Amino acid sequence: MTLDAITLRDVSKFYGEVLGVNRITLDLKPGLTGLVGPNGSGKSTLMHLLTGLLRPTRGEISVLGVNPGDPERLFRIVGYCTQYDSFPSGATGLSFLRHALALHGVPAGEADRRCFELLQQVGLADAARRRIAGYSKGMRQRIKLAHALSHAPRVLVLDEPLNGLDPMGRAEMIRLFKELAAEGRFVIVSSHILHEVDAICDAVVMVHGGSVVAEGQIRAVRGEITSQPIQVLVRCDRPRAIAAAALALDHVVEAKLLDDGASVLVRTRDADAFYASLTGIVIASGTAVESVLPADESVDAVYGYLIGQPGVPT
Amino acid sequence: MSSARWLLWRRQAWAVARHELVRSVFSGRIVPVLLLVAMPLSLAGLRALFLPAGQRLDLGHSTADFAQMFALFHLRFVVFFACAVIFAKAFRGEILERSLHYSLLAPLDRAVLVAGKYVGSLIAAWLVLLPATAITFVLFHLPHGAAGFRQVLSATGASHLAAYLAVVALACCAYGALFLLAGLYFSNPMVPALLFLGWEVATPFLPPALKALSFVHYLSSLLPVPPSLGPLALLTRPVDPWLAGFGLLAATAALLVLAVRKARRLEVTYAAD
Repeated sequence: MTLDAITLRDVSKFYGEVLGVNRITLDLKPGLTGLVGPNGSGKSTLMHLLTGLLRPTRGEISVLGVNPGDPERLFRIVGYCTQYDSFPSGATGLSFLRHALALHGVPAGEADRRCFELLQQVGLADAARRRIAGYSKGMRQRIKLAHALSHAPRVLVLDEPLNGLDPMGRAEMIRLFKELAAEGRFVIVSSHILHEVDAICDAVVMVHGGSVVAEGQIRAVRGEITSQPIQVLVRCDRPRAIAAAALALDHVVEAKLLDDGASVLVRTRDADAFYASLTGIVIASGTAVESVLPADESVDAVYGYLIGQPGVPT
Repeated sequence: MSSARWLLWRRQAWAVARHELVRSVFSGRIVPVLLLVAMPLSLAGLRALFLPAGQRLDLGHSTADFAQMFALFHLRFVVFFACAVIFAKAFRGEILERSLHYSLLAPLDRAVLVAGKYVGSLIAAWLVLLPATAITFVLFHLPHGAAGFRQVLSATGASHLAAYLAVVALACCAYGALFLLAGLYFSNPMVPALLFLGWEVATPFLPPALKALSFVHYLSSLLPVPPSLGPLALLTRPVDPWLAGFGLLAATAALLVLAVRKARRLEVTYAAD
């Protein structure tokens, strides 16, 4: 088992006869990894397995060389923000974090200092002494995040961490995740909102029906789906000229003029060849191009192609 | 084992125990326990008010009455259910409020978690049950006025009180370990608690080999004044007090080992609970 990766080998989890996840093999590297899939696809089961809250029915898991069945060692390096929106009754933000740090063996004085740093970091310093039961959904999400971050873990597992946050809160959290990933930590974020993952993750693991259907960098995954032509959106002043020239290329299967009158959507089996030809087309037709963008290299589109339901992945 | 690790375990166990103690004593969980201990206290208070004048002169009568009440009601019902409420909720309460995972997401050996929860619950049970037992004892002697107080403070009275408190303390240890384990295994630990209560009540009728599996059999052997059981007395043979004490502690240790084994296999599947 490697000491600098999170590995799962042929991992399955059954709840009685109900399948949780099935024969999953993964190697996760440092950085921001998105775990995506609809509700019930097995994301939370996978996260519970990684953190020892569930034990695999079959297979082996190693988190930086540590078995998740060894909590004493595991939670020195792992912090987990679960999906559960529940807290010990009567706890305040401060007492909740204090107790977490006490379980890490942090002396009281140092724990208090660290608590206020954490509360500051997640924007809850003013609500430190208020009961968590009176917090808004977004505040509860933040205090869970502070709990997961309390011991500065190398591996951060976050189950739907942006749920309930307002747009400003989301932006702050995403910036924090990116900072943590840039420090070389493993940040694993699950979400069923695929465009959210698109915006923040370096790599994705796509889960459907308890199985991993794809993993890696989203562009590379998209490139491997050869059954679906790649879509390229060209915004320019003469879309008709671009469409006509594109249709003459043998790898282009469709060129569709969009209603705005200033865009053409090209579907091609060979994106690289199209990009190479586009320069010549633009020069020859004297077109002024505003932008050329891949239209279906999003997690949303790729997930839809993989599970056979383009356009309705969530 | 290194001393640093031992120190960390102690610190962690105490953190869990303190948390459990606060949850047990300063939350709604304490209400049924207080209602339970209010029963013998009320009984003793009413008895103090309405004891016939003739019986107020006979201290021996109160000593026997307390022994009877303690053995048949306080120990078998009040202490039993108070322990059931406090200890069964150590794990089950957190499972029901869906907050157990916070304890499981700490760098904590599950044995330390069980030890901490047990100690916290035990202190909570002692904090309520020991003073309640002592006050009930005093209230039973109250109708005798100064003579009653002298009796409580005398060597005999004090040794009786100490013995009753020791029995309650030991009962909390043993029942506590049992109910902590029940809370780990059963969604509703009150069902096995009621079954075990039936077993404890039926103890006098059980053959000697089965009596050995009852806590109350050992606890009764430690009572300073044996209760009057009438014809049932023929069926009971007290155990040597040392054997009873060590037997209860050994049973407690065995139950806690089972609890640690179960806790090590514990998974978080709140939906199933």
